[in-house]
Amino acid sequence: MKTYFHLALFSALLCSTSAMAQQIPPQLFSGMEGYTFLPDGTAIPIWGYGWVADGYITLPGPLLSYEQGDDVQLNFTNPSPESHTIHLHGLDVDQANDGVPTTSFFVATGEETTYEFTADNPGTFLYHCHVTTTLHLTMGMYGMILVTRPDMTLFEAGPAYAQDVPLLFSDLAIETNLQPVASYPFHDIRPDVFMVNGASGDQLESSDHIVHFEPGQPLALRLGSMAYSRIQCYFPEELNAVCYMSDGRPLPAAFAPDSLHIYPGERFTVIIEPDADWDGYLPCEFWSLTDETLESTASIHIRDAALEVPKITLDQRIGFPNPAQHHIQWSGAEQLTISVFDARGNFVATERLEDGLLDVRNWPHGVYIATFPNGHATRFVVTD
Amino acid sequence: MNGPSATAQEDLWIVRGTWTTFPNEVPALRLENDSNWTGINAVIARAADTASSITIHNTDSLDHLCALTWGNQFNTLIEAGTAATIELPALPTGVHRFGLTDTIGERLGAFSMVQVGLTEITTNSSPIFHWNLGDWNTESIAQIDSGSYSGEGAQYIPDQFTINEQTYPATADDANGTVEVQLGDTCWIAIANHGLMDHVLHFHGFHVLIETSTHHPDRVGWSKDTVPIKRGEGITVRLVANLPGMYPVHNHNLIAVTNAGFYPGGMITHIHVQP
Repeated sequence: MKTYFHLALFSALLCSTSAMAQQIPPQLFSGMEGYTFLPDGTAIPIWGYGWVADGYITLPGPLLSYEQGDDVQLNFTNPSPESHTIHLHGLDVDQANDGVPTTSFFVATGEETTYEFTADNPGTFLYHCHVTTTLHLTMGMYGMILVTRPDMTLFEAGPAYAQDVPLLFSDLAIETNLQPVASYPFHDIRPDVFMVNGASGDQLESSDHIVHFEPGQPLALRLGSMAYSRIQCYFPEELNAVCYMSDGRPLPAAFAPDSLHIYPGERFTVIIEPDADWDGYLPCEFWSLTDETLESTASIHIRDAALEVPKITLDQRIGFPNPAQHHIQWSGAEQLTISVFDARGNFVATERLEDGLLDVRNWPHGVYIATFPNGHATRFVVTD
Repeated sequence: MNGPSATAQEDLWIVRGTWTTFPNEVPALRLENDSNWTGINAVIARAADTASSITIHNTDSLDHLCALTWGNQFNTLIEAGTAATIELPALPTGVHRFGLTDTIGERLGAFSMVQVGLTEITTNSSPIFHWNLGDWNTESIAQIDSGSYSGEGAQYIPDQFTINEQTYPATADDANGTVEVQLGDTCWIAIANHGLMDHVLHFHGFHVLIETSTHHPDRVGWSKDTVPIKRGEGITVRLVANLPGMYPVHNHNLIAVTNAGFYPGGMITHIHVQP
């Protein structure tokens, strides 16, 4: 069990970086034994999708990227204990590939299939499991699909942009995730964790969740929601935002939004070209659809890439052994909570140390940076 | 199964009955085409920009208020066992909510739509399907009817979600709700949200074109696969059936695809395109 937990931990640790990286050839799998981590380090069980080549599931599932006109063969295998599907939300695929058990088919334990479709329309789409949909989505079985054009325009004769920024809103109902088998009835599910790309709270301030821009290089925000809530995003003037598309189709007339309401399953594509030197936030609210109460907020940090990043002061604390193969231990850090980043500054995990000990078995080898509550940091190396 | 129907009838009847829904039976009121209980609200049609009237016969033992929820329309009192005629103003093309506005009348479900000018915007007598959307806390319905209702507290927790007063799988037998068309057909769907919350419908297999909207006129002309319908909103969408097969349409607020919390249920219907 412990070995498994660490495998799952490893899975979640790499979620943020791998979620945006597609393997070749793509072979997606479904799993029901993963974890995601709340900002305080609490591990929450998830079900989800991952790349077979990576071997772990992520929240959200991996980003699927195709080019307009691609004849897509999406290979999917299900080693998990329950049946699953992939519904290609918004791609208008035929009945056989629609991923609905009652009208298409389900993929039973141990089976695999290939979903086939032509990526006719560029845009922002979603995918999710359609087996006991309420439960399987709440558990985390969803992700985003982008269909782009090689000339980096949103659509034919549409505006050009430099980079895609997927922003997938979703939520977790902790009680449901902790006890999915006992989670009926579903009509009063009330989420309590509200996420953007699987991150919430302080996690949105980690380097891989901050959106960096270069002046004059427009970004295409790919906004989509798998949440129970109505999302309301407020666009500061300095972003110079223009909404061009919704649900994978160009709008009859683009418009500059002050705010956008994004309902469950909806998508919008908004191009931003922020003012030089801008360092600010795209505030987003989660509103309950049942009683119109404000449930939570999430702020997406957007900043000019040229702005100086605050320097980290290296800590004098020496971990031992370093390099580490199984564990690394810091003296004077017996009960501290640390945040770990990889060598590129990507957030890896928040860990509470017991006796100053960090278990790094099953971590990929490489250089890591641990930051302590006093703001200081230290480097350590994990070897095979 | 017959095709969809909305008529230019001059009369509607307020009829009391029982809504049998898992796991409860609850009292219900409907606006029917005659004095017989079917449990399904009738839909009426009117020409655009033309004033008209409708007579409401109240067969219930309680007085009720009736109104069109458009502009500054006044409630009309219809005393128990009597009838009253309501003058409908010249209305713009679209879907407008119409029904009982007193608490018992509204919460027991006597609410429907006026389809205005839709036959004019369709072509070659194309079918116009309709979906009256509702969300219900069935426990409070009985309390409201008995006079013992003391409020729903801080949180509204609906446990039933309906299309034309039916939950899935009964929605599959609804000729007005299940979109039965031939490959290549164009059809229209009139949708009204009578619930206490916003709803959002996801179309599998198709994008639909929003043609009218009372609350989102800025979205007219948008092509969407996921369509929010705000509380109180009426919209019309056009669907081109260019793909054969059977495709679900369902609420993507996933608490609403359940019956008393059990999946699948609630707001699910289908588009069936015959090859």
